[in-house]
Amino acid sequence: MPYPKPSEAALPSSDHSRSLFPILFGICFAAAFVGSWQLAQIQPGLLFEAEGRRNMARFITGMFPPDLSLNFLRFLVVPFFETIQISVMGTVLAIAIGFPLSLLGTASLAHAGILNDLEIAGSPGRRLARTLPYVLARTVMSAFRCIPEFVWAFMFVRAVGLGPFPGVLAIGVSYGGMLGKVYSEILENLETQPSEALQATGASRWKILIYGMLPQALPQLVSYTLYRWECAVRASAILGFIGAGGLGQQIELSMRMFNFHEVVTLILILFLLVAAVDFLSARARKAIV
Amino acid sequence: MSEPVYRLEVLTKIFDGTLTAVNGVDLTVRPGEKVAVIGPSGAGKTTLFRLLNLTVRQTAGRLWIAGQEIGDLHGARLREMRRKIGTVYQQHNLVPRLRVTHNVLAGRLGTWSLPQALRSLVRPREEDLRAAHRALSQVGIPEKLWARTDELSGGQQQRVAIARVLLQNPEVILADEPVSSVDPTLAHGIVKLLVELCSTFHKTLVMNLHSVDLALAYFPRVIGFRDGQVAFDRSPDEISDDLLTDLYAGRLTSVSAEDSPDAVPETIRSGTPLLRPQ
Repeated sequence: MPYPKPSEAALPSSDHSRSLFPILFGICFAAAFVGSWQLAQIQPGLLFEAEGRRNMARFITGMFPPDLSLNFLRFLVVPFFETIQISVMGTVLAIAIGFPLSLLGTASLAHAGILNDLEIAGSPGRRLARTLPYVLARTVMSAFRCIPEFVWAFMFVRAVGLGPFPGVLAIGVSYGGMLGKVYSEILENLETQPSEALQATGASRWKILIYGMLPQALPQLVSYTLYRWECAVRASAILGFIGAGGLGQQIELSMRMFNFHEVVTLILILFLLVAAVDFLSARARKAIV
Repeated sequence: MSEPVYRLEVLTKIFDGTLTAVNGVDLTVRPGEKVAVIGPSGAGKTTLFRLLNLTVRQTAGRLWIAGQEIGDLHGARLREMRRKIGTVYQQHNLVPRLRVTHNVLAGRLGTWSLPQALRSLVRPREEDLRAAHRALSQVGIPEKLWARTDELSGGQQQRVAIARVLLQNPEVILADEPVSSVDPTLAHGIVKLLVELCSTFHKTLVMNLHSVDLALAYFPRVIGFRDGQVAFDRSPDEISDDLLTDLYAGRLTSVSAEDSPDAVPETIRSGTPLLRPQ
């Protein structure tokens, strides 16, 4: 009788090949956590000691009331727009750098998967011709994003002088690496069936990209790019510290003069700016879906 | 055209050196033929189709399409060959966020240049729109020209996929389980549509089917496929119950414990899919 009654049948056993990896990973993570605690000299108690509390209180009371005088605010109009411009131009440059790199650095377009199976099979030359640009693009994107914006800004200030331009370049290059990497990942994680169907009509990879992949990836690409724009606003504030203009430079000046009531005004303006960017981003995301 | 559309010689496909999906298949398909391929799930039918529409490359054996051997074909010549083969998939494989018209016009991507393709995406030409509308009329949904594809039902999307193949105007149409994900009541209509379109436009049709009934009803040539090989290759009146039982033997794991293990389940003949395709 080939069909045993359900109550008599032995239960299938769970997968016995439980890998060691999760356990090892857990041990390494715990060790790293404890080690980091030591190394970073974490002492939460310090935050609450009398001396620390006094200093913090002095710092905070120095900030209030914020300097909302018309004189000061009028003075901030130019840096305000500079910050916006730096963030926008920086993001645009990042897209211009990151998007082409991401296309080269997408494995499913370059050398892997069904879009390349027949093209490459049996020809090491063609495989190399496809893989080399991929590796180069990935390396360049990695380099761009691993060097901090700060360092890029330093370099560019040496090259083109002070002002907003080095800030734009610094954000453009470092964010270009980040956008490129994430764009690649988005494209690689798309469903492959539409691409397979388009390839079967005789379409080249470019046409498959434009008709099949980009329409599907668009919401994610836009979403991440808008997030990066928001980061660029904050980054341009930081880069202002090394002379890249905008609100950041004003914060640095005010801090140096210990005018904390001016600093808090600048921070408030920055906060409002980020909130506005947030709002615009949400609207744009809704429109794309 | 006296040359066969397809000629397979010991065609084999092995994945990762271990999984033999297609095992030394010899097959010839003449122009204008209508062939149905049936067999249990996991028999290798889909892999066979992916070899036939040049999506994957064979591990061994030889393949000729329209008299030309597919050896080291690549680049523009490979794409030209792919253009001659139209595929209808089980899960339509359309681009969900595009409008129906763009999905239908995508059938022309094999003939268009890149600038033409780009332009069509932004603003299709009048003559292209008319062609798309005509194709959608032939499949019964002309009003959906500008609808967004993901707003259509499964059966409607499958019709859009067929319209795409019509615009591609290939010499042979491969349909890989085109009705397995469609309402059973609509299945007959879609199979009949494809068979009639191929008759009208003198195209070769090879269809992978889960339902034995549909295969026997509409196709003069039925190939039984099992374990990566051709089990039989006959006309419907030469196919006995025994032949079908052997084809699907050992795959009846969805049959309940109450049924006698010796009887051939009625579900084979009635056309209801035995196993949900993966």
